[in-house]
Amino acid sequence: MGFLDVEDLKVHFPIRGGLLNRKIDAVRAVDGVSFSIEQGKTYGLVGESGSGKTTTGRAVIGLNNITAGKVFFEGNDLTDKKNKMLDVRKDIQMIFQDPYSSLNPKKRVIDIVAEPLRNYERLTKKEERYKVAELLEKVGLSPESILKYPHEFSGGQRQRIGIARAIALKPKLIIADEPVSALDVSVQAQVLNFMKDIQKELNLTYLFISHDLGIVKHMCDEIGIMYKGRYVEEGKTGDIFTNPQHIYTKRLVAAIPDIDPKNREKQKQFREEVQREYEESYESYFNEEGLAYGLKKISDTHAVALPEKG
Amino acid sequence: MDNLQKELDNKINNIEKSPSGVSIIWREIMRDKLALISLVFLLLVTTLVYGVSIFLDLDEIVKIDLFAIHEPPSSDFWLGTDYGGRDVFGQLIIGTRNSLTIGFLVTLMTGLIGVTFGLTAGFFGGHIDNIMMRVLDFFIILPFLMIVIVFVSIVPNYSIISFSLIMTAFLWMGIARLIRSKALQERELDYAQASKTLGTPRWKIMFGQVLPNVSSLIIVTMTLNLAANIGLESGLSFLGFGFPEETPSLGTLLSYARNPQTLENRWWIWMPAAILIFLLMLSVRNVGEALKRATDARQRRG
Amino acid sequence: MWKFIVRRLLIALPQILLLSVLVFLMAQMMPGDALSGLIDPNIDPAAIEAQRERLGLNDPWHIQYVDWITGVVTEGDLGRSFRYKMDVTEIIGQRLTNTFWLSLVTLIFTYLIAIPLGITSGRYNDTFRDQMITGYTYVGFATPLFIFALVALWILGFQFGWFPTGGSVSPGLTPGTFEYFLSRLHHLILPALSMALITTVNTVQYLRSEIIDTKQKDFIITARAKGASESRVYNRHILRNSLLPIAAFFGFEITGLIGGTIFVETIYSYPGMGQLFVESINLRDYSVVTAVVLLLGIASILGALLSDIILSLVDPRIRIK
Repeated sequence: MGFLDVEDLKVHFPIRGGLLNRKIDAVRAVDGVSFSIEQGKTYGLVGESGSGKTTTGRAVIGLNNITAGKVFFEGNDLTDKKNKMLDVRKDIQMIFQDPYSSLNPKKRVIDIVAEPLRNYERLTKKEERYKVAELLEKVGLSPESILKYPHEFSGGQRQRIGIARAIALKPKLIIADEPVSALDVSVQAQVLNFMKDIQKELNLTYLFISHDLGIVKHMCDEIGIMYKGRYVEEGKTGDIFTNPQHIYTKRLVAAIPDIDPKNREKQKQFREEVQREYEESYESYFNEEGLAYGLKKISDTHAVALPEKG
Repeated sequence: MDNLQKELDNKINNIEKSPSGVSIIWREIMRDKLALISLVFLLLVTTLVYGVSIFLDLDEIVKIDLFAIHEPPSSDFWLGTDYGGRDVFGQLIIGTRNSLTIGFLVTLMTGLIGVTFGLTAGFFGGHIDNIMMRVLDFFIILPFLMIVIVFVSIVPNYSIISFSLIMTAFLWMGIARLIRSKALQERELDYAQASKTLGTPRWKIMFGQVLPNVSSLIIVTMTLNLAANIGLESGLSFLGFGFPEETPSLGTLLSYARNPQTLENRWWIWMPAAILIFLLMLSVRNVGEALKRATDARQRRG
Repeated sequence: MWKFIVRRLLIALPQILLLSVLVFLMAQMMPGDALSGLIDPNIDPAAIEAQRERLGLNDPWHIQYVDWITGVVTEGDLGRSFRYKMDVTEIIGQRLTNTFWLSLVTLIFTYLIAIPLGITSGRYNDTFRDQMITGYTYVGFATPLFIFALVALWILGFQFGWFPTGGSVSPGLTPGTFEYFLSRLHHLILPALSMALITTVNTVQYLRSEIIDTKQKDFIITARAKGASESRVYNRHILRNSLLPIAAFFGFEITGLIGGTIFVETIYSYPGMGQLFVESINLRDYSVVTAVVLLLGIASILGALLSDIILSLVDPRIRIK
C-alpha cells in the first residue's frame, strides 16, 4: 500500500428528466481513473477545463460523491462509509482556486485560519491567537492582520491565508486545485515557490491540479494527463515532456511557449507538424465516442492510452 | 516565548477594527434624508408610547363613561371620546404600543422560523429541499386572512400570545423562500466547500458560515416585514379578529368606523389611528428601503 | 410542455386534498356540530345521542372526513346553515356571483392602472414622471387596503355622495333592465377601484424594474443598433418580454383578492363571499365558514396552477425547475 492510491475512480453526475424527475442519464465527469502518489512528492493532474481533473481532486477529499472505485489513504479506504472520515480528513486538506470566494467575506482572518483548529484541537483563546499569528508568519503575512477581513488583502495574500488555513492541522496531503490560476502572473511564481518551500519544511505531499503545463513542469514529480474523464498518459515529468507518446499530450507539450527567439522557427515547424499529426491520426488515438483507451505501460514509469491493435 | 506572546498581544490589541457592515448602513441612512427623518420619527413614537403608557392607567382609559359618549375633541379629551365615553387619545397611545409590540413579536418569530426553514432547505438541497418547498408552497397558497380569522375565532383561551402565534404560523413563508434561494447560491461558493474540507460539521457551516452572509438580506426583509405586519395586525383588529377586546390596538380604533355614523360624523375617533398606521408603515418602509440600498453596493447613494 | 403541465397538476391535486383535510379539521375544532343547530333543546339527550350515532358523528375523524368529502364531491353537499335554515350551496350561489364581478372589475382596474404607469415609469426612468409614479407606489405600499377603502368611502361616499355607501344594487330595480345593470356597476366602482389602486402598486413596480432591466439587455441594444425606431423597440421587443409574464400573474392575484374582498366587502357592505364569511364567523354559522374557506382555497390553488401553466407557455425557462 502506498501513500495515496486511487483505483478506478468514477464520478458520475445524474441527468434528471422525464415526468417524475428520475435519473435518465449521467455525465461521466471522472470515468475510471487510477493513480498513486508517494509521500513527499508532487503529483500533477493536467487537462483542459471539463476534463475531470478538479472533480477527481474533490472526490478524493470528499466534496464529490464517488460513484465507483476506491481511494486508499495510508491504507485506509476513504470510500468505506463505515470508516469515520473525521480523523483522516485532518490529514488531507485543500487549497482552492479562487482566493476571492474561498475565504468567507464576513469572517476575520483569525476566524478563517482558526476554523480547522477549532474543529480538531481544544485551544484557549490565547493559544489560538498565538497559533494563528505563527501560521500567518509562516506564510509571510504580518501577524497584525489577524483582525482584518479578507477584502483588505490582495489576491496573492488571500491565497497565502488559504494556505495558512490548509496547513494549520499539519496535514500530510494537500490537494491544490489550480492554486495560482486566479492570481496575477507576477504573483504566481511567488506563491508557487512558497508552496515548494513549505512542502520541504512540513514534508507535504501535493496533488497539484492545473491546466498550465509550464507550472506543472516546474512543480511536479509525476504527471497524469486527463481528457474527458479519462487518463491519456501518465509518467515522470521527464517522460511526459521529453517523450510524449499520446497525440493529445504531444499537442499540449508543443503548445508550451519557448521564450528563446532563436528557436522560434523550429518551434513553429514543430507545432505545425504536431497539428498535422493530430488531425490525421485523431481517430486512431480515441474510440468511437471520442474517449481515450485504457493505459498501457511502455516503461516502468510511463503509461499511455493506446488502442488494442497497438 | 512569553515576551513574544506579550508583544503579539500588544500588537493585536492595538489594531483597529475594519469598517463593519453596521457603519456602512449607518452612513447610508444618514445620507438619505427621508430615511433619517423616518428613523427619528419611529424612535420618537416608540419611546413616547412605551414611556407614556407606563404612566397611563389602562383601566381608567378603557372604563366606560356613559356621560361622555362621543364627545368631540376638547381640552379634557384631546381627541374626543368613543361610543363608550372612553378617551381616544389614551387609547391611541396604548393602541400604538400594542400594535408595535405585536409587530415586533410577529416579525421576530416569523424571521426565526423563516430563516431556519429557508437556510435548512437551501443548504441541504436535494430531496430535503424538495419536500420542504412543497410544504412551503402549500402554506403560501392558503387564503391567509380567512384561515387566520377562523383560528382566531376557534382558539380557546384567546390571548395576545395565541394571536401572534397564529399570525406567525401563516406568515413565515416569504422570508423562508428568500433565504432559501440565497442559501442555495451560497452553499456552492468555495468558502462553504472549504469549511467542509476543514471538518466543520454541517450545522455549523450553515449557521456559522452561511448565515452571516445572508444576514443583510435577513435584516432588510425583516424590516419590510415589520411594516407589513403592523398593517396586517391593524387590519385583523379592524375586522374584530385581532387583539382581545380589553386591549385596544390601532385597528380597534379604526373598527369603530365600521359604524357608518362614526365614519361619517365622528372622524376624531378613527382618523388619528389611520394616519398613525400610515405614517408608521411608511417610515418603517423608508428605513427598510435605505437598508436595502446600503446592503446592495450597486444601489448605494454614496 | 405537457410534461410540465402534468407535473404541475401532480402538485396541485395533493394541495387540494391537503386543504380539504385542513378545512375539515378546522371544522372539527369549531364548537357545535351539524346537530346543535338543528335540534330543539327540549328533545331527550338520549335521542340526540342516537341521532349522532346514526349520522356517524361519533366515528373517528378520518372516517368522518371520508364521509364528508364524498358528500362534497359527489353531491356538492356543503352542509346546512343553521342561521338561514337553507343549504350552504344555495346561500353561496348569489354571493359568489357578486364576489366574482367585484374581483373581475378589480382585476381590470388593476391592469388598466398598472400597465400605463409601469410602462411610463420604466421607459422614462428617473424623470419627473417616473418619480411621481414611484412616489405613488411608495405610498401605496405603506397604505393598508382597509384604511384606504375607509377613507375613500368617507370622502367619495359620505362627504361628496358620488357613490353609494353600501349594497350591490339599489333596491326596487328589476333584474335584467339597463338601470339595474348601471346600478350594479355604480355599486362596484368604488370598492373595485379602492382595491385596485392599492394592489396594483406591486405590478407597477414589477413592470418598471422589468422594463429597466430589459432596456439594457444586448438584444435591445442590437435592435437599436440596427436602426429600429424607438416605438418599434418598445412595442416589438421590450413590451413583449415584460408584459406577458404580468398578464399571467392574474392567477396569483387570486389569493390576494380573496384577502382584499374580506376588507372591501365589509367596509362597503357589499353582499359577497368576504362579507358572508365575516358575518358567519361572528354568528358562529360554521358550516358556511367551512364551505367558504374550502371554495376560496381551491380557487387560489387553481389560480396559481393556471398562472404557472400560462407562465411556462410564455417563458420556457420556468419549466426547467
